[in-house]
Amino acid sequence: MAAPMAAGLGGRLRAWLPRLTQVRWSRYNPSYIEPEVNKELYQKPPEELTEEEKEKLELKAVRPIKAAPPTLSSSVFSDPMISKFTNMMMKNGNKVLARSLMAQTLEAIKRKQLEKYHKAPEDEKETIECNPYVIFHQALKNCQPIIGLSNITRGGKTYQVPVPLKDNRKRFLAMKWLITECRENKHRRTLMPEKLSQELLQAYKNEGPIIKKKHVLHKMAEANRAYAHYRWW
Amino acid sequence: MLRSLKGLLSHPLKLDHGYALHMAARDCLSAAVSQDVQTPAPTPRAVFYTSENNPANHGEQHEGRHYSIPLEEVGAVFPHGLPYRFQQQIKTFNEAFLMVRKPALELFTYLKSSNFAHPAVRYVLYGEKGTGKTMTLCHVIHYCARQGWLVLHIPDAHLWVKNCRELLQSSYKKGRLDQPLQASSWLKNFKTSNERFLKEIKTQRRYVWGKRESTEEGRPLGEVVEQGLARVRIASDAVGVVLKELKQQSHLGSFRLLVAVDGVNALWGRTTLKKEDKSPVCPEELTLVYNLRKMMMNDW
Repeated sequence: MAAPMAAGLGGRLRAWLPRLTQVRWSRYNPSYIEPEVNKELYQKPPEELTEEEKEKLELKAVRPIKAAPPTLSSSVFSDPMISKFTNMMMKNGNKVLARSLMAQTLEAIKRKQLEKYHKAPEDEKETIECNPYVIFHQALKNCQPIIGLSNITRGGKTYQVPVPLKDNRKRFLAMKWLITECRENKHRRTLMPEKLSQELLQAYKNEGPIIKKKHVLHKMAEANRAYAHYRWW
Repeated sequence: MLRSLKGLLSHPLKLDHGYALHMAARDCLSAAVSQDVQTPAPTPRAVFYTSENNPANHGEQHEGRHYSIPLEEVGAVFPHGLPYRFQQQIKTFNEAFLMVRKPALELFTYLKSSNFAHPAVRYVLYGEKGTGKTMTLCHVIHYCARQGWLVLHIPDAHLWVKNCRELLQSSYKKGRLDQPLQASSWLKNFKTSNERFLKEIKTQRRYVWGKRESTEEGRPLGEVVEQGLARVRIASDAVGVVLKELKQQSHLGSFRLLVAVDGVNALWGRTTLKKEDKSPVCPEELTLVYNLRKMMMNDW
């Protein structure tokens, strides 16, 4: 969340403004530009480049470039959503374990769908989706809430006010709900890939506890519709 | 440890194969089998698959290709032999494809030219982790089953020397330990794979199981197996009896015997089991291992 730099301490005559200090800042000089990972851009012949791309290319010749983070990849298999999800599943920095769990989850989804595919009659075979990435994305999309609640204090009392959510916040909530649901509300001895694949398949079909949670949130927001005017942003 | 050996014994050819702990051997089989099922393209499959489903006719031209085993045969011939990852693949794709490998073809030539009058020859299948030793063993077992041999398959000898919950003192000999669970599960699987032989082979001695139970001379071997399954306490002794009978009767020539042990190193290594006074158990003190070691000698 981009926050403006803290205003100078001087100016006590100025009215008190809520000060937002930057929490995540980078040590890079502002002249550094972000690295470009898209391979296709580099393979385009110079005639096909648009004006902006030509400008960016010229800028690259003169400005220094930031170092690419290890999670940024130009591979066809890398998916930013999957990486985000893996990071959220990670505990104590054990990325190796989180990544292997993610791989096993996708494998489990694929196996389940393939079994269903082989058992289905001919006319239903086309409707069965076997690509685990498609299922993952669709399931996450189905889990995302449209509207959220935020606590606002007015006159000493806190109200739950319905508030529109940003895209990042929606994605975060969907992933967080999935992971907490799998961690807490399942049998102790089942493994994470098994639990996750089951939840993802249910969410893909718009069933399951996470979709219910989303609907409960929507209903609460609908019930507290009266307080919507407390929101000032 | 890099060297891994598997055990495969057959009458008269004895095959000793060693085998190290092989974790999921995912790549060798799934590479060609896991194609995109939704668009069946005949041309890529032709390179990897062969329609020759009888292992007896596999030759050098089939090397590296996969042949299919019908699922009913898989249940009959391999009740307990296939590794877990392969069983998962069978469940997912609804088909069982086994790759034809050079060591298997070599073994076929030896088995075909074996002289049954001579003592058994022992063969060893060895190699690094994940190179296909268990699958080669299964290929050979399938071949022998198709030829009508009696296959004595111990899927993993390591399961007999570690992680055993129940250890009973043997009633037959003092100082030996029985493993009722492992013995009974092995007897069950042995029964499914070799039904018809159990009716034909007769016992040559009288066996007394307890105060009231005994098996007379001349009864079919299936009865011994039933006894072992019904009374789990004597299951290990039942296994010993079965092995002894098969060893003695293999000379008579009515059937051909193949003994296949996966992970044969476990029979001579250390066990992770402990007796009640926390002292470690040697493999010789386990009835199952003791009897199996006698099969490993080439004196039959």
